[in-house]
Amino acid sequence: MFRATLAICGRTVVKRFISSVSGESALPPNLRLPPNLIGVAAEKRPPPSGSDLPVVRRCEADVPAHLTPAQTWLESLGSRDSDQLGVVDLHPDVFSVPIRLDILHAVEVWQRNFKRISYANVKTRAEVRGGGRKPWQQKRTGRARHGSIRSPLWRGGGIIHGPRGPTSYYYMLPMKVRVQGLKIALSAKLAQDYLHIVDSLEIPTPDPQYLQDLVKHRQWGDSVLIVDVGEEFPQNILKATEDLKTVNIIPALGLNVHSLLKHESLVLTLEAVKFLEKKLLWHDVRYTPLYPFKLPYSDLP
Amino acid sequence: MSASVRSMSLTFCRAARVAFRAFNPATRPLSTGYCLRTEIRPAGGSRDIIESTEEFRFVERLIPPSRIPAPPKHDGPAPSGWTPPSDTPPSLPYMIRRSRMHNVPVYSDIKHGNQHSTLIRKIEGDIWALNKEVKEFLLGLTGKDPPTQVNEITGSIRVKGQFDKELKDWLLNKGF
Repeated sequence: MFRATLAICGRTVVKRFISSVSGESALPPNLRLPPNLIGVAAEKRPPPSGSDLPVVRRCEADVPAHLTPAQTWLESLGSRDSDQLGVVDLHPDVFSVPIRLDILHAVEVWQRNFKRISYANVKTRAEVRGGGRKPWQQKRTGRARHGSIRSPLWRGGGIIHGPRGPTSYYYMLPMKVRVQGLKIALSAKLAQDYLHIVDSLEIPTPDPQYLQDLVKHRQWGDSVLIVDVGEEFPQNILKATEDLKTVNIIPALGLNVHSLLKHESLVLTLEAVKFLEKKLLWHDVRYTPLYPFKLPYSDLP
Repeated sequence: MSASVRSMSLTFCRAARVAFRAFNPATRPLSTGYCLRTEIRPAGGSRDIIESTEEFRFVERLIPPSRIPAPPKHDGPAPSGWTPPSDTPPSLPYMIRRSRMHNVPVYSDIKHGNQHSTLIRKIEGDIWALNKEVKEFLLGLTGKDPPTQVNEITGSIRVKGQFDKELKDWLLNKGF
């Protein structure tokens, strides 16, 4: 046994020595891709920290003194190759919050379950039709004693602890937890390079193939969620995304954690970024509500 | 006795009828200050009624704001004892933000009537460096090394014992 452990230790020591001596990247051999593979993800673009392009958008709200805004590229949907048009600043309290997976999980589970009403209902022995009479006399028949033919022991009898009537699984997480979940989801998209900022949603053709080519060429992933503010969208993009299952367009009010997790990459317009920052940062500086926020306050529209 | 009860019930009925006429919107007298948005004279001529919205400002000034205002500029401590954070954040490996009411986030907690603890929240950066400094500070203060619990995920430190005033002053001196 001692010789076996010594042999194993010697093998691992030799492996580590080889990987430190050889000049390649320290990836294990099962993760290294052959260089002539088609469709593999390209080299990640360097983040625009030291680029010469101008900063197209600064944060409207005050950024805390100890934090710096996160920066990302401004792209366009107009032509296939128009990415890196400029640099966009994103507020760190919305797009660089610490990633709390427990909050993300809680918000996702809440979103699935708070709307759920389960309609399963079974009848108890009192509700099953029949079963009022004693089937046979108590003694002397030789059979087991029974009081009704619909007791739970019988075939066709009632169910004891089954689902009872419509049950609601409604509950509300605190508003600040849900807001934090949105901020964490946006930060996760930015951190994983799945967030793309676009100046506007104008595309040259209403052809869905154009969008699919664009997504494939820029390697945005399998599914894209496009977000803009307001109810008016250009007709071209509406027609293009109408029949596509994996590219979806929603207004900024409909942004939610489940959609963010379901789609691989997220495309925001500059207006949507401004709207989201304004709405999500307000929750950090608001009073606790004296009455619901739906009613008028002096600075809320 | 029955006569007094009867008279009391009569006065009660009369008062209820008057109150009903006052509160029923169909029969309420119109001079109660109910205002519409425009200043118009209704076509009716003989009754002298002006509808104006000038008085709505008395309602509007009562509606509260939803945002917490930024505190006015003070050089040094305010008369109440509140100290603003320093303009440049201190050059330490950690940062402690102010609460939404602009206070230092140090809170004292008590459980089962006798277990005191102090909680420092909203810590960003190197939380273990802050933990070490808190332990050194409290060792110098009390002579005992207090047990602390560091929660990296939420960015908070819980210290056994009630030190909220001392920790608040210590953090204010650092400039947080």
